[in-house]
Amino acid sequence: MKNKINIVLILFLLLGISCTVDEGCRKSKTVNMGISFYHVVNKDTTTVMKIDSITVQGLGVDSILYNNTKKLSKILVPLNKIVPESRFVITFDTIKDTITIEQTNKDEYLSLECGCIKVHSIDTVLTTNHFIDSVKISNHTVNTTNAEHLQIYN
Amino acid sequence: MQSIYKYIISLLVCLAMYPVHAQEKNVPAPEKQGQEQKKQEPEQKKKEEPKEPEVRFFNGFTVQVDVASLATTALKLGDSYSMEGGIQFDLKKKYYPVFELGVAGADKFSSANAEFKTNGLFGRFGIDMNMMKKKKDSKPTSNLFLAGVRIGMSHFAYDVTNLQITDGYWGGTETVDYKNQVSTKVWYEIVAGVRVEIIKNIFMGWTVRDKNLLGTDVSGEVFPAYIPGYGLNTSNIWSINYTIGYHF
Repeated sequence: MKNKINIVLILFLLLGISCTVDEGCRKSKTVNMGISFYHVVNKDTTTVMKIDSITVQGLGVDSILYNNTKKLSKILVPLNKIVPESRFVITFDTIKDTITIEQTNKDEYLSLECGCIKVHSIDTVLTTNHFIDSVKISNHTVNTTNAEHLQIYN
Repeated sequence: MQSIYKYIISLLVCLAMYPVHAQEKNVPAPEKQGQEQKKQEPEQKKKEEPKEPEVRFFNGFTVQVDVASLATTALKLGDSYSMEGGIQFDLKKKYYPVFELGVAGADKFSSANAEFKTNGLFGRFGIDMNMMKKKKDSKPTSNLFLAGVRIGMSHFAYDVTNLQITDGYWGGTETVDYKNQVSTKVWYEIVAGVRVEIIKNIFMGWTVRDKNLLGTDVSGEVFPAYIPGYGLNTSNIWSINYTIGYHF
């Protein structure tokens, strides 16, 4: 009987310790800029364009983001978290263009377990014009939502 | 050990109170008739019926310390600590206003080695009610089954340091520190527990607390992982206090 009472008291005590919350990170930490492709039909009309084959690579980076990927109308690319400029080489079938994004990077705190992420605000976009006709910034704020931020017209 | 028996038994008695009352209401018809006959007895007997003992408005106060927080502090081995005490007044042996004060802190590390550090004071005030029903002629007891509410508050400073941001594609790492952040948190608690007199004027008891944080953190802003007096920064949390006190 004595032991039972002791066990009950210890269980009550341990309940306070064990009733803790799972502190694992469940928030999305991936921040990508979305680029969609459009074809200019005439002055007032554009249509969504699927690129037959696309290759995307950060300038000065070995890793390829999209490698001859077929029939894409939208791509997601990461902006530079440390430097306020990101350059991508995009190969549309065989035609190459370089696109330069100047952005402001900002720290966003998620939680102790998730840590911090960098979100971006697109300031300026510059591009070469081999395949690309023009670029429009449709959304300046780049965060975890995977929205469309740039519209590339051909 | 006898006092612990007394403590457990008092809880069981509290829980057993309700069914006893329910049975009293369902008295069989023949017994009711007997009761009516008794009513007709001379008024002299009525005068002999025991009166409810008079209860003073103020019946002293109890100074108490929380032993559970000290024990959990020892078991968590430095992750967080808490020490608290309180003063509880006895009004009419029914209402027990209480003020609690404590100090708590935490030094927590994430799996990525980010550190959260805080130390702060906290306070709570509220009231308990004795839920134990007593018979009309019985003397007020010192053993209590309490239910009540608390409002808690803590104003504290904290640091979140060594948050690493690594760029997996472009390369490079940045370390972010947020130092001397200040926060004020308010919460309410729903409390239930028992308190028994183990030796003359020395009381022992425990309370279970359902804590609910008021207000929410703004997304993207730096917020504390731990709140002194409340615990981990979640909208709802449970805790247990185990108190020892002296009644003056």
